[in-house]
Amino acid sequence: MPDKHISSQFDAELNTISTLVLEMGGLVESQLHQAVYALVHMSRESAEQVMENEVRINQFEIQIDQAVISIIGRRQPTARDLRFLMAISRATQNLERAGDEVARIARMVKSIVDSGSPRNLPSSELRVAADLAAGMLRKTLDAFARLDTTMAVAIIRSDDQIDNEYNGFMRKLITYMMEDPRTISASLDLMFLAKSIERVGDHAKNIAEQIIFIVKGEDVRHSSMEKVESAAG
Amino acid sequence: MTPLDPATKKNALELRDLNFFYGKFQGLKDVNLDIEERKVTAFIGPSGCGKSTLLRTLNRMYSLYPGQRAEGTVNFYGQNILDAKQDINLLRARIGMVFQKPTPFPMSIYDNIAFGVKLYENLSSAEMDDRVEWALSKAALWNEVKDKLKQSGLSLSGGQQQRLCIARSVAVKPSVLLLDEPTSALDPISTGKVEELVHELKQDYTIAIVTHNMQQAARCSDYTAYMYLGEMIEFGSTEQIFFKPSKTATEDYITGRFG
Repeated sequence: MPDKHISSQFDAELNTISTLVLEMGGLVESQLHQAVYALVHMSRESAEQVMENEVRINQFEIQIDQAVISIIGRRQPTARDLRFLMAISRATQNLERAGDEVARIARMVKSIVDSGSPRNLPSSELRVAADLAAGMLRKTLDAFARLDTTMAVAIIRSDDQIDNEYNGFMRKLITYMMEDPRTISASLDLMFLAKSIERVGDHAKNIAEQIIFIVKGEDVRHSSMEKVESAAG
Repeated sequence: MTPLDPATKKNALELRDLNFFYGKFQGLKDVNLDIEERKVTAFIGPSGCGKSTLLRTLNRMYSLYPGQRAEGTVNFYGQNILDAKQDINLLRARIGMVFQKPTPFPMSIYDNIAFGVKLYENLSSAEMDDRVEWALSKAALWNEVKDKLKQSGLSLSGGQQQRLCIARSVAVKPSVLLLDEPTSALDPISTGKVEELVHELKQDYTIAIVTHNMQQAARCSDYTAYMYLGEMIEFGSTEQIFFKPSKTATEDYITGRFG
């Protein structure tokens, strides 16, 4: 929102909300990094820290929602202000769910550690997908801060990459399980971990769609890539 | 709030290349607009943008003042309102107007309604009673005044007075109602009642409303026109104007980034 309202207080309120969303997103991102660290190093301590921090993400969600409701109630926003607030609300929801997925990763790492870590399984390979997801989230927050639709399109497109990583990892795990049925239990844990990482990517993609909604007023959820590109263009 | 299928659309008023002059000053510039039948069309814009001027053109209110003139055409079911041969009294019976401040006549509530009707129709006293009740009911005022019809119209509250004026306009059975900031002098409850009334009245009448209250336009109109410096900047369904206006100027105005 580069230009100014007649009411500078309104501008200040919108800026505060933007800042809160970016802070919340930054927290989810750092949580993801820490969860990945916990996974790669099978660190029980890091996993626990991630679980503790999840509360803060939930608090952000409530705080941002209250701010959005207050602005809608008192200022009756229209046009791009209205779209902006709707998008903020949806983005926040997606960030909170991404936060849930990250906490889930941490919980699983902890339970894997507690049950004796599966050294012979390809847990570190999850790192590729996790780094992709973290990078995607980072870019999404950047694009959100700058309302950059070109970047948003690129993010939506890149979600396929994470999906491919996920599918590849799945096939690999199946091979392990067929070779040695004793790895099945640990493999299933890793499978769920991979799924959570993949979901973080999905949430980042959902937020990227909201950037197009704010700027162009087009709802590109559940749309084909061609439609997304033409809406953003 | 969604526009009808174009095939079923019928216009009550069609403005073509409408220009308006206050002496040398041009108040309206090449306005083209269709006002759909039995819909509410709202006009918004900053002071002096020409929205009231436009409304006043639609029933030739301006012809009371020397030096004011309109050019172009306003097609009202086949006749050009701006035509010099147009019978102005008949026109105002078919296109009624309600102003910003309530303007009841200094006479009884009953006579406020009957006065206009008597100019155009010859009704028996029983028929007139029916008409008065009908008009007051249409304006959602009947229940509040039915026991004091002989009292002065000026004894009513501001909100009631405004609804009395709406009843007075409705009484002569017009096809179009022009409302020029009908609620700007009213409290929120009275405003709500008038807005509810607008919603009721559009079943039978075409309504054009000028308002400074943008949220009022958003609440009670089907179409919204944004005007600036005498020009029609953007016209569209109210939903479109308030969600995704196509012009930056419109967006800046409705989001409060104007000036």
